[in-house]
Amino acid sequence: MSQPNWIAGPQSLLGAPPYRLAGNTHNHILRAWLGAASIIAACGVVIFGLRVLEVLAGAVGGALLTNAVVALVTGKKITDQALRATLTGVLLALTLPALTSWPIALFGAVVSILIGQCLFQGWLQPALVGRIVTQAAFPGFLSVGGSMLLSPVLTPGHMIFGDIEDTERIVDYRGWLESQESTTHDAYLIQKPVRTLRQFAQNQVKPNADLRYTPLLRDLLPPWSDTVFGVVPGGIGETCTVMLVIVGLYLIHRGYLRWQLPLTVIASAALTVSILPVEVANDYRWFPALEVEQGRAVGLAYVLFHLTTGQIMLTAFLLAGDVVASPMRAHGQIIYAAFIGALSIFMRLYGVLEGECYWSVLIMNLFVGTINRQLRRPVLGMEPPSDD
Amino acid sequence: MKLLSNLLGPRQAFDGGLFLRDYKAITARRPIEWLHADGPLHIPLSVRADFPVTPVVDVGDRVIRGQRLTIPDTQAGLPVHSPISGHIARFESVWSPFDGAVPGIVIDPDGRRDAVPPVQSWADESVIGQLVEHGVVCPMSRQPLHTIIREAVRRGVSELIVNAMETEPYLTADLRTLVEDAGRVVDTTSELADALSAVRAIIAAPFRHRHVMKRLLSDAAGRMVEVAVLPDPFPQCHPHLLIKSILNREVEPGGSPLDLGVVVLPLSTVRQAAEALLDDRAVTHVLLTVAGDAVDRPGTYRVPIGMPIRRIAESIGLTGPVRQAVIGGPLTGIPMRDENAVVTIDMTAVLLFTTTEQVNPVDCIRCGWCIEDCPIGLSPPDLVRLESRATVNSIEMSHLRACIDCGLCTHVCPSQLPLSQTIKSLRDRFDGGEADRETGRR
Repeated sequence: MSQPNWIAGPQSLLGAPPYRLAGNTHNHILRAWLGAASIIAACGVVIFGLRVLEVLAGAVGGALLTNAVVALVTGKKITDQALRATLTGVLLALTLPALTSWPIALFGAVVSILIGQCLFQGWLQPALVGRIVTQAAFPGFLSVGGSMLLSPVLTPGHMIFGDIEDTERIVDYRGWLESQESTTHDAYLIQKPVRTLRQFAQNQVKPNADLRYTPLLRDLLPPWSDTVFGVVPGGIGETCTVMLVIVGLYLIHRGYLRWQLPLTVIASAALTVSILPVEVANDYRWFPALEVEQGRAVGLAYVLFHLTTGQIMLTAFLLAGDVVASPMRAHGQIIYAAFIGALSIFMRLYGVLEGECYWSVLIMNLFVGTINRQLRRPVLGMEPPSDD
Repeated sequence: MKLLSNLLGPRQAFDGGLFLRDYKAITARRPIEWLHADGPLHIPLSVRADFPVTPVVDVGDRVIRGQRLTIPDTQAGLPVHSPISGHIARFESVWSPFDGAVPGIVIDPDGRRDAVPPVQSWADESVIGQLVEHGVVCPMSRQPLHTIIREAVRRGVSELIVNAMETEPYLTADLRTLVEDAGRVVDTTSELADALSAVRAIIAAPFRHRHVMKRLLSDAAGRMVEVAVLPDPFPQCHPHLLIKSILNREVEPGGSPLDLGVVVLPLSTVRQAAEALLDDRAVTHVLLTVAGDAVDRPGTYRVPIGMPIRRIAESIGLTGPVRQAVIGGPLTGIPMRDENAVVTIDMTAVLLFTTTEQVNPVDCIRCGWCIEDCPIGLSPPDLVRLESRATVNSIEMSHLRACIDCGLCTHVCPSQLPLSQTIKSLRDRFDGGEADRETGRR
């Protein structure tokens, strides 16, 4: 019954409150985010083939290499920031197209770490800095066969092992599964849905008599389910909406991402695209979400396409919610996320830049300090209590 | 609507706070058990080191349960009573976790159950007299209850709040009291409210354990006592936040609830007062939650004052060597400091853990978790940055004073920075210099 050493040592009797911690360390957060990003990267491998691994290797290798060099120069330990650098590398790869060559990915990673992570530490999302600079430095890397409009995706039966560069241009694209028999190549070469949507908003899509939305939805865009499952052209991690939602929910469940942020990005984007006008024959039609053609709610379909194509989902769940570069309080994150969603849609509809969501995240990153300052909480007992 | 309110709970009345995992699943269901003295008791002569007392017994005397051992020399002091019948073995210093080594008395139990009979003269004695007679102390603030009541009556009180929130993990003494003794809590609360001449008496109870509240509600029905069932994020149990939640008034930084005419008493005080007022018995035992992963049979125990904590651990059983021993809750308690510490009248819990938290602080990553969770609305990183400063301005000083030391910022910090510890040391450092310049208050 009697235990000779019931207290293990004198240090057992010391300490200061609190004695128990919640147990979520910075490393836990980074590991969870890295896991989430890796799952999306794996989806990218499935959809765009093994070529994706080359981009990933370039980005992650560049990030780790730069991190090591920076650590050597500044005299810090290499392992301090290695996890963070890896996460930045993977996130950068997720924003790049599958056809990016590895030196370009490596260049982007070097820029991400040097500028995003070392120079503007905690102010800008580093992966997006790399992505934007890469885009400016190599404007051609987004184009296939000299055309900025077209982009490939693997055909059914050729996933993972197919060659993404063995492409065939499909003019009359009916959807990922429907076009199966018509091709002997490994990949379809079709227009990115988000580009089609931009052309539509800028009145470059010919209406069919008095039907304007129906030709767009029926003939020009792939089926909506394709955009949900991700079998449409785009960046490595941009397309697979369903997996992005799942890993986002995982991060929310772990408490590393506030649910308010992705929800607000998506809600704000939906609201903006429902309101902002599309150009029709020198006329602007407001509230496109309310459009009905032949008894079909084509306006709502148009809004849903906007949400699931492009970078909205990747931005909402993985890029904007970065613990370091987003506002501190939930209220601030709501404001930040609302502007990201609205700006992204605005730039997509009327802008010329590629990567509109990435630009809007970087723009809003600049206002994080202001948002934090404006949303100070009242201290208990120092301000008069509110009336409610 | 009822389902919804059952699911969501009442509306939270203050910003911040965190719903902690509470580790009460086992202990909350175990009834209170007696832990009898099976060896000598080491009883401190005084309830607090700064109260001078005179012993009224000598070595070799036989004492019975409830017999006075010491009488106070000052009006604020309290007598100490023997928890068991036995013989006085010797006078020697004992280790109190709050005061360190203090003069004490050692009693060898003789195995009999003799006790001082209740006087039953309570009709002609005042409540304050009873409280002094039986030695009722308010734990944590460590003030005798009669001095609290005197001060409160002098300054005028409109509300009495009995704090049964117990939002810290592991602690279940108050919860078990509500389950087993709800009627006595209500009775004593109305007696104390009478003594304070308070207009309202409110018992604050946690929504998380609302199923045990039904009995409390039926006992309180038709009485002057109200029951406020509050959501239970930590640290709702702090007096300032109770006042904010129940009365929507705010205690100014560094102030006390008495400034607003409110007295907040912890349930453990009411529990002691119930013995003094209803049973006419001296306070000789305390209700202790003994829990933590090192404890084999965690639960709520009624323990005689003066029992060495080591003996409690041995009779309950340990699962392994203790690497961290805490008196009080896991977020606000004090370290045990000495292996031979004994149970004193102002303890409510002993937590024994087989692990200590290994911290490896890194730079602040500005995640904002501490800011979001701070119940007061402070920004801990900004306050910690004052460490490099020689002086602080009055706003920063009142921020430092407004901190209630709940420890939540350190608890959640992913960089494992010692935020609350630093804020506390900064307050101690700057408070001295500031006091001279201000109007001499505090």
